[in-house]
Amino acid sequence: MTVKSIGAYEFPSRSRQELYGDDQLVHVWFTDTLWFAAAACFRAPRAMTWADFWNGVVVPFAEEDPDFDAAAPRVWTLHGAQFQPRDDQTLAELGVGHKDVIGTRVAA
Amino acid sequence: MTIAPKGPRKLTMKQRYEALTRDLDWEPSYVDKRDVFPHTEFEGIKIHDWGKWEDPFRLTVDAYAKYQAEKDKRLYAVLDGFAQSQGHLSLTDASYLNAMKVFLQGVTPLEYTAHRNFAYLARHLNGPGPRFAALCQSIDELRHTQTEIHTLSNYNKYYGGFHNYLEQHDRVWYLSVPKSFFDDALSAGPFEFLIAIGFSFEYLLTNLLFVPFMSGASFNGDLPTMTFGFSAQSDESRHMTLGLEAIKFILEQDEGNVPIVQAWIDKWFWRGYRVTALVAQMLDYMLPRKVMSWKESFELYFEEQMLGGLFADLAFYGITPPKHVDDAIAEKETLSHQVYWTLYQFSHAAAFTTSVPDAEHQQWLRDNYPDTFEQLYQPLWAKEEKNIEAGGRHFWRGLPQLCQVCQVPMLFTEPGDPTTICQRESVYDGETFQTCSNGCQWIFEREPEKYVQAWLPVHQIYQGSCGGPTLPDVLQWYGLEEGDSGEYKGSVDEKNWNTWHDDHAPTGTEG
Repeated sequence: MTVKSIGAYEFPSRSRQELYGDDQLVHVWFTDTLWFAAAACFRAPRAMTWADFWNGVVVPFAEEDPDFDAAAPRVWTLHGAQFQPRDDQTLAELGVGHKDVIGTRVAA
Repeated sequence: MTIAPKGPRKLTMKQRYEALTRDLDWEPSYVDKRDVFPHTEFEGIKIHDWGKWEDPFRLTVDAYAKYQAEKDKRLYAVLDGFAQSQGHLSLTDASYLNAMKVFLQGVTPLEYTAHRNFAYLARHLNGPGPRFAALCQSIDELRHTQTEIHTLSNYNKYYGGFHNYLEQHDRVWYLSVPKSFFDDALSAGPFEFLIAIGFSFEYLLTNLLFVPFMSGASFNGDLPTMTFGFSAQSDESRHMTLGLEAIKFILEQDEGNVPIVQAWIDKWFWRGYRVTALVAQMLDYMLPRKVMSWKESFELYFEEQMLGGLFADLAFYGITPPKHVDDAIAEKETLSHQVYWTLYQFSHAAAFTTSVPDAEHQQWLRDNYPDTFEQLYQPLWAKEEKNIEAGGRHFWRGLPQLCQVCQVPMLFTEPGDPTTICQRESVYDGETFQTCSNGCQWIFEREPEKYVQAWLPVHQIYQGSCGGPTLPDVLQWYGLEEGDSGEYKGSVDEKNWNTWHDDHAPTGTEG
């Protein structure tokens, strides 16, 4: 179904990837705690390595949770499937696209 | 003997009303009617006889002005008396005003938007009856905007958070929730607007939205807001009548209108319900003296009055309860807790303050939410209490994921599973969009071209449209000042409140 409109109705997305240059938005969702009320949204270069993303972007955010352990082994999910990121892989190489949601929890 | 000539016959109120509204209408003779009313066909609604509209207001302009002037006189007398007697000192607590800050920032600007849109209907609807009804409501909405601003302006002299509500309504993240809701209606056609605001908002959800604020005022010593509430009440009942008249009129005009109206009810119930999330947390967390819980309020004003009463009547027309109503019912035990927990951790970027509920408040929450508070939310507050003891205070160091439709941070949980955040994903034109619920996803996928244009505060901050790249830049752009935000304990409002009340403490007592 489409918008019923009095005239032509075509407008670009106000959050399309090109508005962020070489960067993109990435969501990180801590699925095993409700300390953070929602998943977090970050802006990061597509060419950023996983190590830089995790240590430089996510950990400084997540450390605000007194129970957060940056070194704990974790399970990762992307598009509903588990994946294992390597430190030297870039977000693009990992298949993380604009506005994707990366899920994470401490491995049981 | 002569017979005196008969004086001019006096019209009855109804005849007078007809004369002043319908009889001033005319059929255009040299302009096509479609050119006079160009907006009432594209939505697919068919109206065969505009004359069938029953005028719900039965008011003339002079009678209308007379009633409203009397009500204004009473209201402004109360406002003067309250200001002159330093009435603000008799509130239950300064923290009560957080509820009124949310109201002034979130609701008052909506009254103004409603005024604009009813003025649009007063121009664009084909029938003189509905045009006049829309005109009256447009004036009402403008009066409500003004009286709300005047009612709350006295607090602006003494408390933070009241001084920049209009600009904040356009800029601040949590206010994009009510703003985008109304903008969505403002950019729809005239019939959809009538169902969105006249029916779904003013009829279906109005008691859930307004009554809690006004009862909260009455329970917490806020005489001006309570008086405003009474002053607006008779208008609101007219608006409810208009909303109900509008839906019945449209449904009776053509059978083909039924599925269109049903889809609008499905959409606008969920859009409006998501806005009431702000009311839910206000009732359960922001009022020092409680009125009733959100759950109780939802059961009374929505489940009993609307699902039990209204929809039973509308079944006659083939209208069924809104599509995602079961998800809303399933949330009544969790909604307010999740929303306040969110506002608590983002209040450093808001124009109100928050605090951990004290022991007595937590007992009230346990009593009113026996199945959820102790199990799910008390442990979070306990963890935060320890965090505070250790010198922390839970403020986010980043930005949250937002729902593309309702623009609330993605805080809601799966229906029936209160520990798993609900994430829904849709792809449109190669781009990924997330929504917070089945309801918002359904709305997005119905009109993706509309919602891809959403001005999501988080995305705009990352694009650099909100004052600059750092949090202080953004907060400055929001117009937040010292004392507006963050933790209530130790805030400027609390310090002032304690000082004012220490001065008045009886001799020999500790402050």
